[in-house]
Amino acid sequence: MATDFWASSHYKRWIVDRATLRQARADDLLYIDDPEHLDFLAIYFADRKLGKKLGLPQRAIATATVFFRRFYLKNSYCETDPFIAIAACCYVAAKAEECPVHIKNVVQDARQIFGSQEHYNVKNFPSDNSKLAEMEFYLVDDLECDLIIFHPYRTLLALCKSGDVSDDPGDEEEAGEVGVGIASDDGPRYWGTGQGQLELPHNGLQSAWFIVNDTYRSELCLLYPPHLLAIAALYMTCVFHPATAARLASASASAPSGPGAPAADPPPRRSSRQAAERKQPAQDPLAFLAALNVSLPLVATVAQEIIAMYALWERYKEDAAGADPGGTPDSRGRTTAAS
Amino acid sequence: MADNTGASTSSVQTRSELYHIVSQVGEGTFGKVYKAQNTVTKLYVALKRIRMESEKEGFPVTAMREIKLLQSLRHENVVRLYEMMVSNGSVYMVFEYMDHDLTGILSQTQFNFTDAHLKSLSHQMLAGLAYLHHKGVIHRDIKGSNILINNRGELKLGDFGLARFYQKRRRTDYTNRVITLWYRPPELLFGATIYGPEVDMWSAGCIMLELFTKKPVFQGNDEIHQLDTIYRVIGTPTADRWTDVANLPWYELVKPREEIPNHFREMFRKWMSPAALDLAERLLCYDPAARATAAQAMEAPYFTQEEPPAMAPVGLATLHGEWHELETKRERAKKRRRNETAIQ
Repeated sequence: MATDFWASSHYKRWIVDRATLRQARADDLLYIDDPEHLDFLAIYFADRKLGKKLGLPQRAIATATVFFRRFYLKNSYCETDPFIAIAACCYVAAKAEECPVHIKNVVQDARQIFGSQEHYNVKNFPSDNSKLAEMEFYLVDDLECDLIIFHPYRTLLALCKSGDVSDDPGDEEEAGEVGVGIASDDGPRYWGTGQGQLELPHNGLQSAWFIVNDTYRSELCLLYPPHLLAIAALYMTCVFHPATAARLASASASAPSGPGAPAADPPPRRSSRQAAERKQPAQDPLAFLAALNVSLPLVATVAQEIIAMYALWERYKEDAAGADPGGTPDSRGRTTAAS
Repeated sequence: MADNTGASTSSVQTRSELYHIVSQVGEGTFGKVYKAQNTVTKLYVALKRIRMESEKEGFPVTAMREIKLLQSLRHENVVRLYEMMVSNGSVYMVFEYMDHDLTGILSQTQFNFTDAHLKSLSHQMLAGLAYLHHKGVIHRDIKGSNILINNRGELKLGDFGLARFYQKRRRTDYTNRVITLWYRPPELLFGATIYGPEVDMWSAGCIMLELFTKKPVFQGNDEIHQLDTIYRVIGTPTADRWTDVANLPWYELVKPREEIPNHFREMFRKWMSPAALDLAERLLCYDPAARATAAQAMEAPYFTQEEPPAMAPVGLATLHGEWHELETKRERAKKRRRNETAIQ
């Protein structure tokens, strides 16, 4: 959206390296024994409950999460209450994505969700609207007013035929009004005809979509540009999604026989269908990915990182199940590692 | 909280001292605009302060929209937002400085614009609009004081406080209360809420006439009078000029009571060439669907065929003073006060 991604503040200023991420957590490290618990916190704070409760579209929730990550590049969990930061991120993201919500609703819903015994047990969330407005000001300041966030969802929709997507992502795209304005950058979309788009089996795109959702649980949105996350999610769908993986296996099995093979012995009575099939040969998703103008080793790296995130998430769930469920933040709202 | 933990940015303290305010130069939709000087580079900038005090809902969503819009636009005929700045609890937008605005510069008499200059200004305005519309943005407040001009003769569109993204494929309802009355297109005066970039093109037509006549052409006092003023120049809208007019929400309320013929060409012939008249007529077309788009207007014979070719008014560098609507207004107020005291 900024003139384009490569000219945007997202690309120029907000893609950082691992060292910067580590540096940002330096103060928090003093308060915990196991550094992995900081990664657990990254998962813990990326919960979508508040955004969902406020009825924000998925895109705005994703934007809120990126705001949160960016804010804690410059601040520490131990010094700035992450719960009011989450609320402020949702509030700003809703405005930035043109689906504003009332400040009092944010305060109410945040108090209700964060105060609930089973999830957070945060009892000190301020009831005063002005506290959230103040936090919003600090947030916008630390975000340096860079409010335009690029997400992998658009790349997914650009690369894939969305015919089989369930309502959720499809609606999302139409509902994101700002997004639509941006999409029309080049008049008719270059993928307008659907020619050359990747065709995924039923729910394939949905699966990639969910993987993208999950990446927000980690700090990957600070490390890699969104289109790489999208392509990595597609790649993982090709490998792990049963229907897609099956299609892939059959495509590669038939590949050696070459395009001439089906024409060799056409059963006469099905010739018309054969002709149709020859016009549109079965797509090879791997060839599709290989033809994209991105570094495949980099895509593989990103996929590895996403897998590592899932492994971490598993450990987090086990850890949370083993520990006192309400024990993560202490009563003063200061966060300490889940013990 | 906002201490120096940030690795990438300089601290807030040094940032606020970076600019030294010279004077106030305007009043934007959301706050005052100042001329300021960068104390290091000595370059001038325009600082626009975002009003926060009165906002119960925190950071105004309209200001946020303007910031996002400007951050996503980059064109030689669109004012450039350099950066955002937070200082003493205020948020400022830092713009490139423009010496004049159109209202101001047309009110001065030292520098005379030639036909080639006016053609250049028209063309630059249309180029800016063509870019905005291509990016899916409607400005919704094109008027003299929002058209900025610098001493190099460059024209840039400014103040995106009312602008917004629009959907190219699907028309949706927007607020009808946009665009300063004198530049408001007839479809909005007839109550339309579904509209597109054509609304900017009407305003552009008004500006084009103003370039030649030096003052706003349609100066109505209220919505009804505004339509009357338009009728008196280009005649009343008839079904063959504007098929859908009778379907607009307020048509029955504000429709013309008597038919007035189109006097446009005889009224403006003394200022404008035939090709200029042709183009202005296509911009001030009643039917929004038939109105020239910015891209079409840039291809008009006025620019491509008729002499003289466009030439930017670079001679503005020799002009004394800076001309903004705000100063023009103040000057007028001063004169009025002088006259009043003289009468007493």
